[in-house]
Amino acid sequence: MNAEQAVNIVMIEDDEGHARLIEKNIRRAGISNPIHHFVDGTSGLRFLFEAPEGPAHNGPALVLLDLNLPDMSGTDILSRIKAEGSALRRAPVVVLTTTDDKIEIQRCYDLGCNVYITKPVNYENFAAAIRQLGLFLSVIQVPDLEEPK
Amino acid sequence: MMAAPQTDERQAERRFARTVLLLIMLGFGLVSLAGLSAFAVMMRGEEQTELVDHTYQVERQVIGIRLALEQMRSARRGFALGLRYDSGAAYPEAVSTLFARIDGVRRLTRDNPVQQRNVERIERMAGTLDLLFRRSMESSEIRAERAERERQRLAGQVEGVASAMLAEERGLLTKRSDARADSMMLFYIVLGFTGVLLVLVGLGSIAVIRRYTSELKGSREELRRLADTLEDAVAERTTDLQRANEEIQRFAYIVSHDLRSPLVNVMGFTAELEAAIAPLQALVDTVEARDAGLVDPDVRLAVREDLPEAVGFIRTSTQKMDRLINAILRLSREGRRSITPEPLDLGAIARSVVDALRHRIDELGVTVTVSDRLPDLVSDRLGIEQILSNLVENAVKYLKAGRPGEIRITGRIEHGRVIIQVADNGRGINPRDHERVFDLFRRSGEQDQPGEGIGLAHVRALAYRLQGTISVESELDKGATFTINLPAGYVGEGSA
Repeated sequence: MNAEQAVNIVMIEDDEGHARLIEKNIRRAGISNPIHHFVDGTSGLRFLFEAPEGPAHNGPALVLLDLNLPDMSGTDILSRIKAEGSALRRAPVVVLTTTDDKIEIQRCYDLGCNVYITKPVNYENFAAAIRQLGLFLSVIQVPDLEEPK
Repeated sequence: MMAAPQTDERQAERRFARTVLLLIMLGFGLVSLAGLSAFAVMMRGEEQTELVDHTYQVERQVIGIRLALEQMRSARRGFALGLRYDSGAAYPEAVSTLFARIDGVRRLTRDNPVQQRNVERIERMAGTLDLLFRRSMESSEIRAERAERERQRLAGQVEGVASAMLAEERGLLTKRSDARADSMMLFYIVLGFTGVLLVLVGLGSIAVIRRYTSELKGSREELRRLADTLEDAVAERTTDLQRANEEIQRFAYIVSHDLRSPLVNVMGFTAELEAAIAPLQALVDTVEARDAGLVDPDVRLAVREDLPEAVGFIRTSTQKMDRLINAILRLSREGRRSITPEPLDLGAIARSVVDALRHRIDELGVTVTVSDRLPDLVSDRLGIEQILSNLVENAVKYLKAGRPGEIRITGRIEHGRVIIQVADNGRGINPRDHERVFDLFRRSGEQDQPGEGIGLAHVRALAYRLQGTISVESELDKGATFTINLPAGYVGEGSA
């Protein structure tokens, strides 16, 4: 990843277990970037757009997003990130969720999601998928975000 | 509530039919009565005419008698005056006319004793008169006053009897004319009475028919109103059912999704646990290799047997749960899939379904026959494929051990519906499980084949969605026949 500035991974995932498994498997893939974990959409959005140490004010980020959140739908967060004029619209968003509904998948890509991954229930596959995501993250180039105005 | 007005209506209908029939019969009776009386009056009239005619005939004869008498007198007078060449021949002619007339009257009045007596009398007197006339004409000496008076008296008597006869006949005629007028009057009265009755019957019939038709109209309107409300009720009910169905589909979808998340954790951390057992086992092995006494037997048992066993059970259970959740998801997704009806060649679909299972069919040596007279229908291709595929798959799966499998796919059209049958000679289904096998996660018979009890539930859900039904006929060890009843032309869910 970007050597000059550590890319922050922002994970918005309401299930603590899933978050822990994702983190473990990303680490196993050799990714050591900081992971910021939020269990609901509100706090996730606040961190993304407002926190001084958050990506809107402070460097490049990659978002791991679950769609089924207690307080809002993940697609709302996605549309906020990818909205016209958003400081984060170039930030890659990986939707990582249990939903494999075709319409939902289409909708996410329409909204500007970069990668959509359905969490396999089978753990071996799940672990393999996350590790591959980790490998993917290790080669991905994340654009520098525009300076906040 | 529904039965009472119906019987009332029936009774009214019967009453109406009876009344109308009665009125019509009454009308017919009256008309035939009038006809009969007209006929009777006509017959009587003819009789009367004959009688009147008879009277006139008698009168003519009586008048003939008087005329003949007059001729006799004038002939004698002519003779007396010496005109013998003129009247000598005329007298016998006049006498024979007189007797002929008297005979005529006798013939005509054979049924009238009064006239018969008069005829007797007039004949006797005519005989005497004839004798007197002849004598007066034979000898000129006998022209005495006495003889003259005798002749005049007799002639007057004959005249009188003739007049009496005439009067008798005239009286009879008057009586008969009166009788005739009476019978005509009776006829007119009967006719008038019949006419009035006919008018009454007609009015009665019209009134009854009008009342009945208005009742009929009323009930027809009532029926239409009921039909309308029924349609509304059906539409409302359909909407309710659709809403309920959608609700269930959404519920199934959400539940299965939400169940998946914790399951990922259970499986994930079970895997982590399993991974953690390996170093523990290695540790126990190392310690044991160094000094067997250091390892407690409980620790050894826990690490070597209990932990792997527990993890194994958690794994198989979660895997099963995963399959069930996937099944629910599949069903709910199937329920939300939109149906696209199109004209289908059922034979081609059945053959492609069989071809897709060809590998297993050949492996097990099963014979599958697809009837070449399967009807075409308009329905959802994927739905029909899945129904047939599931049924054939089941038939192949649940064979009777030791009996070569035979599967037959047949179809026909019945009252605008397509009946498809998939029959096998497999192990069959116990009749008490016939409903149960269509329930989700329920299976029947020996559980020696893998499966979750989803296939038939899926098939039934599909059949319902395609506006059809499915049923099974089967006995243990005697094979099973699944019958699918579908509309020949699927109409959209909105217009159903």
